[in-house]
Amino acid sequence: MSLNVLGSLASADGGGFQTPTTSEFYQPLLFDGPLAITRPAVVLMLSVGLIAWWLIATTKRAAIVPSKGQWATESLYGFVRNGVARDIIGSKDFLRFVPLLFTMFVLILVNNLFGVIPLIQYPTMSRIGIPIALTLVVYVTYHYIGIKRVGLGQYFKGLVPAGLPGWIVPLIFVLEVITFFITRPLTLALRLFGNMFAGHLLLLLFITGGQYMIINGGIGLKIAGAGSYVMAFALTIFEILIEFLQAYIFTLLAATYIAGSLSDEH
Amino acid sequence: MSEGPPDPDAGHPRLEESQMWNVVSYLISGPVLFGGIGWALDRWLGTGFFVPTGILAGMFVSLYLVWVRYGTQK
Repeated sequence: MSLNVLGSLASADGGGFQTPTTSEFYQPLLFDGPLAITRPAVVLMLSVGLIAWWLIATTKRAAIVPSKGQWATESLYGFVRNGVARDIIGSKDFLRFVPLLFTMFVLILVNNLFGVIPLIQYPTMSRIGIPIALTLVVYVTYHYIGIKRVGLGQYFKGLVPAGLPGWIVPLIFVLEVITFFITRPLTLALRLFGNMFAGHLLLLLFITGGQYMIINGGIGLKIAGAGSYVMAFALTIFEILIEFLQAYIFTLLAATYIAGSLSDEH
Repeated sequence: MSEGPPDPDAGHPRLEESQMWNVVSYLISGPVLFGGIGWALDRWLGTGFFVPTGILAGMFVSLYLVWVRYGTQK
């Protein structure tokens, strides 16, 4: 709606405002086609390098009285280890899943925050392939530990809760299979992707729209453009909150699925 | 305020909370799955009432499953 209003207002003096579209997300830097090295690929590699450097640098000389960096890393690690892994998976089995969950959390968090960090400003997770890759890891993990624990036949049998009336069991079974094998991974990947994609597009719209109105508009549009920047600022703060939240929810749900595969009833 | 190692049998205090997210998956799966089956039946038989029937049946099965899983005492 407001997209069209801005566009039609601005197009009075030729050229016109180009509203940001989904094509903004495909940014090849080197080459083109399927093997192109794109901006998200570079940002992802940058994030991996940065995370590795940070984690090694802050824990290499670990001290009893921690430095600020060590304290920050330990708090983050403690949050994932105790707040997510132990509380959800339970104190018996959680320790071997902490590396997976911590890696996921930090990788998603840093890549999400890159969406608002100046100069980088690209949330990698807004390219659907990357959430799908992360989801595949979770998907294989929770099915693998479930099947390994009870065997393939029992795994499928265990999908349906015991003690149901016989006529409803086939319906429930189909529903459980669809939920376990399709809906769960689909929603896990799409939730992360959608939040990052929509947030980035929204920021892009307010910032480019505000810039266009201030540069090309009359006095009224200049005021509206300033308002657009206020909105962009407010939404950036909001976006940072969403970025934390999505990293947390992804890790939380991964832990929940793993906990489900480890317990007797899923 | 007792210091010391945390109780090893403390269990999964937040699992039930986080399982609320699974409920969403069930509530999506049911209507979509059975509505989809209804749509296929409608296409095949040329009728028009299987889609709403399927969606309602899907909602029923989803809610029933959520009730069985999370609403009853074990």
